Amino acid sequence: MSLLDGALLPVERFLQQHGERLAQVVTVAVFAFLWLPIGVLVVMSFAAGGVLSFPPQELTLRWYGVFLSNDTAIQAIGLTLRISVVATLVTVTLSTLIAYTVDRFAFRGRSLIQLLATLPIVVPLVVTGVALVLFFGTVDLGSSYWEIVVAHVVRTIPFATLVIIPTFLTFDRGLEEASKDLGADELQTFLQVTLPNVFPGILAGGLLAFTISFNEFVFTYFVKGSGQSTLPVYIWDQIRYNVTPEVNVISVVFLLVAVSMVLVAVSLTRVDLIARR
Amino acid sequence: MGDTESTERGPGGLAGRVRGITDFAREHPRVRRGLIAGPPTTFLVLFFALPILTMLVISFRAGDINGPFTLDNYTNFLTSDTYRTVLWRTLLVTVQVTAVVTVVGYALAYSIVRFSRRTTLLLLLVILPFWTSYIIRMYAWINILQSGGVLDSTLLLLNVIDQPIGVLYSQTAVLVGFTYVWLPLAVLPFYASLSNMDPDLIEAAKDLGAGPLKAFLTVTLPTTLDGVVTGVILVFIPTFGSFITPRLLGGTDNIMIGMVIENQFKSAFNYPFGAAIGIVISAVVVVLLVLGARVGAGNLQGSDGQ
Repeated sequence: MSLLDGALLPVERFLQQHGERLAQVVTVAVFAFLWLPIGVLVVMSFAAGGVLSFPPQELTLRWYGVFLSNDTAIQAIGLTLRISVVATLVTVTLSTLIAYTVDRFAFRGRSLIQLLATLPIVVPLVVTGVALVLFFGTVDLGSSYWEIVVAHVVRTIPFATLVIIPTFLTFDRGLEEASKDLGADELQTFLQVTLPNVFPGILAGGLLAFTISFNEFVFTYFVKGSGQSTLPVYIWDQIRYNVTPEVNVISVVFLLVAVSMVLVAVSLTRVDLIARR
Repeated sequence: MGDTESTERGPGGLAGRVRGITDFAREHPRVRRGLIAGPPTTFLVLFFALPILTMLVISFRAGDINGPFTLDNYTNFLTSDTYRTVLWRTLLVTVQVTAVVTVVGYALAYSIVRFSRRTTLLLLLVILPFWTSYIIRMYAWINILQSGGVLDSTLLLLNVIDQPIGVLYSQTAVLVGFTYVWLPLAVLPFYASLSNMDPDLIEAAKDLGAGPLKAFLTVTLPTTLDGVVTGVILVFIPTFGSFITPRLLGGTDNIMIGMVIENQFKSAFNYPFGAAIGIVISAVVVVLLVLGARVGAGNLQGSDGQ
């Protein structure tokens, strides 16, 4: 042990003297790694010469024009939005009910609901995606659109629930008692007291659900019918068979959507709440 | 607006009816519970539990989702050298990715918690890339790693290399891609457990004569082990089942098990076989989760029994 301590002594001395500097180097290096690819996408979206010319010789908005006049891509965005908005509304409703259940009820089924709501994170995506295809093969919902929406809700429920539950747990229940003492009935109390108080959490959960659904690929890829492309599926096809610089433009659009969503979500809730399990 | 009118119309209106239901529900706790807990439970049982069960059943069918029951899918998979190699490679890549992400992610979380003032901003900068499309993030790396891409051009410009090296379609590319996508996900639990930790513990260790490294190894790391386990699980599971990254960045020599499943569904159309592989990888994940949970639980008992 003391022999090991002796060998570690130079390391200890180095860390004592340069620990903070080392931490700064690590932080800068990792942030460069995380943001460099995003910077590359943004720069390349303005590159006139296409994908294989770095640094770009000439900057242009041409590919933005190509993107805006590409009906297939615009349709893909439309479908993505029609799916994401509906999936988000369903998810938020179900997740709020789950949060209410977990917060208020003590019965045996409670832990089962919590388990069911968390498990979709734990099972590999490809497995749940495949399971949903097989299930929809046996039980036909009648429309590929609704099958994709349902798949997205399965995907987003755990995340929304994770964000919404803490706002229920930290909410001061005394306010509800006060409301009832003042003569409000249960529904009035929920709508006028409980809901406004937990609303920021619900909104944050909804925005995260929307972002996940907007970016969702694996479930959609397996569940979708032929000819139905959400934006991520469209990009997948482009990358695999026919890369054009337009993909860089779509990437930037994606980024802007994601960044604005997350910024709104974060301004409404605490980041570390999302970090907590 | 219509609601207001019906309120005025008395007990027969919509609001009256809603009140009738809520009154009934309040007096019957079971009904109330059912109305609230019922919809999400039904949804998750119907569209998550039942599909997994369906998949389990179909994994025992021969050739077709309506074929006769058999164990062939499992025996074929587990006795094939090709698939065993793929499974082994997948496990190896996953362990490598998890190790790299854990070390780098923990170093970053530690640096942020101990040495940074603007922690919220930094955390935001970590998670933002995570909330952009997975496919897009892989595409960014195709741009960078492909032959003649950003990396090659930069290195050529700096005279580090004299002809393009093209890292794309290699195991290195796969490792870089995975590290990139999962790093933010792992930093979150690392950050949470590090920031929850009482910094006085480190001071105490130092007062007792421990250097920074020894204090880290004997105090910080054991105290935050449950966060480490969470991060490891969050990285391990999606990497193990992934087909996107190896498909886009890996080339033909770097096939992973998720790609085999995708293949069975998208080109070979052997659904029962694909389902069986899905069950196998889920089993692997469940076993590792149970082991991980045990490590985490053991650690909690060892610390302060929270």
